[in-house]
Amino acid sequence: MSQQHKRDGFSRRQLIKGMGAASLLPLIGGVAPFAIGGQHAGRVVVVGGGFGGATAAKYLKRANPAIEVILVEPAETFYTCPFSNLYLGGLRDMRSIAHGYDELTDRYGVRVIHAMAEDVDTDSREVILSTGRHLDYDRLVLSPGIDIRWNALEGYDEDAADKAPHAWKAGPQTELLRSQLQDMEDGGTFVMVAPDNPFRCPPGPYERASMVAHYLSQHKPRSKVLILDAKDNFSKQGLFTAGWEQLYGDRIEWVGLSNDGRVTRVDAGRLEVETEFGTVHKADVLNVIPPQKAGWIAERAGVTDDSGWVPVKPDTFESRQVENVYVVGDATVAAPMPKSGFCANAQAKVVAAAIAASLESRPAPEAYWTNTCYSLIGPEYGISVAGVYRVQEGAIAEVSGGLSPADAPAETRALEAEYAVGWYNAICQDTWGTST
Amino acid sequence: MKRVFHTAAMLSTSTLLLMGMAPLAVAEETFSSAQLDVMAGSCANCHGTDGRLSGSVPPIAGRPATLLESRLLGFKNDEVADTTIMNRIAAGFSDDELAALAKHFSNIDPQ
Repeated sequence: MSQQHKRDGFSRRQLIKGMGAASLLPLIGGVAPFAIGGQHAGRVVVVGGGFGGATAAKYLKRANPAIEVILVEPAETFYTCPFSNLYLGGLRDMRSIAHGYDELTDRYGVRVIHAMAEDVDTDSREVILSTGRHLDYDRLVLSPGIDIRWNALEGYDEDAADKAPHAWKAGPQTELLRSQLQDMEDGGTFVMVAPDNPFRCPPGPYERASMVAHYLSQHKPRSKVLILDAKDNFSKQGLFTAGWEQLYGDRIEWVGLSNDGRVTRVDAGRLEVETEFGTVHKADVLNVIPPQKAGWIAERAGVTDDSGWVPVKPDTFESRQVENVYVVGDATVAAPMPKSGFCANAQAKVVAAAIAASLESRPAPEAYWTNTCYSLIGPEYGISVAGVYRVQEGAIAEVSGGLSPADAPAETRALEAEYAVGWYNAICQDTWGTST
Repeated sequence: MKRVFHTAAMLSTSTLLLMGMAPLAVAEETFSSAQLDVMAGSCANCHGTDGRLSGSVPPIAGRPATLLESRLLGFKNDEVADTTIMNRIAAGFSDDELAALAKHFSNIDPQ
């Protein structure tokens, strides 16, 4: 493995310049940069091994196995944000939301490098890794997810997140929030600070509030959930509100922008937050979901704009700002598609097809995307929003979709809870090859 | 919406090997193989890669095309009693597209 990695230390282009082709071949070894029959099919580097990146790598190989695909992802195990709320609610363990990269490597021939991509030189078309090694590319796919805009909310920096976790990237933060919830005295208040749009997973905060309320109803029945929100409307609002009332009575209180819900300052040490009009709320567990932006490597590659997110060409998700760089997932400006794992996966398939076509100088197929977001309000109470998206008049448009019916019977809610699990297993199988 | 017919020669070897199909069996009348792969891509998010995963969401690979097509049209026209999301999704596709998707999945080996 270390030998294999060492070879990345050389730029393939530099090698070609410096040596004869014959001496190059043994160095590349099992990496197979050339198509069967000797034709060069191209090298694609994918940065980020989440829903977008892992799917892009797999579907590039499915489109054309002769394309050399290298996936760069620091973690050997990826924890999904979807269903991390179920972990918080006590319905799942962390292992059940953990996924690895063996199938991508063993079945599809993707080369996975566990390192951090630290920089991109889009002129020489090279990705620079934390190990100092350079990887050159013909096409680059960035699936960087989100980064927190530290200090955009006064008092909320990396140290504050150790006391008042965001848990908006699944992993240690999620475990910290769960342990705080378990340690909370009965009668305590779980305060959630919810951000203004746009942010990762629009229904996520409200599913989390539901799952926390579920846990409290089982283990700490005198406790409450208070959501302080920077906006007046949220995803699936009517369905959530009705479900909360039905399952949890007044356990969940939601305070929107107009009722002074917008938090402007966080004091993580005291577990206090202050709103726009000076109301101070004291929490027993404080979950701050802060303002966000595209993952950091997107900035380094020069694909973000002033908003902090990545504008893309709708047909292909190639960057509007930098050629040969494609971006998928939460980092992109893809509205009306939401920032969801489902969308990242769907966008990655369109990108894989577009890149495979462009490497053969063919036009990209027409883009089709779908999204389905299930949210669990209770273990047997699921709701969903779905959408189908196409490019119309140069922009992404929703051509069909909508919410679960407001008046659906309990059987439908139970069925949607069951389908949520089926969806999770399927998308994880489709992305990483693992389903639980 | 009609697209140029692409011959079997246009299909990548990988697609054929992975899906275990005979080259001519997958050719749709109006959509190229690459186009069908993109159109069918999102189905995998609930039905598994190539529509093969069994679970609470049923597998769709290898089912008869006529059955899949009538079911999809039923969803689109909101005629299926126990629908949850498929009516909202099928409505985003033309009848031709649904027929092409039905044929695409019927030609995939369910194993």
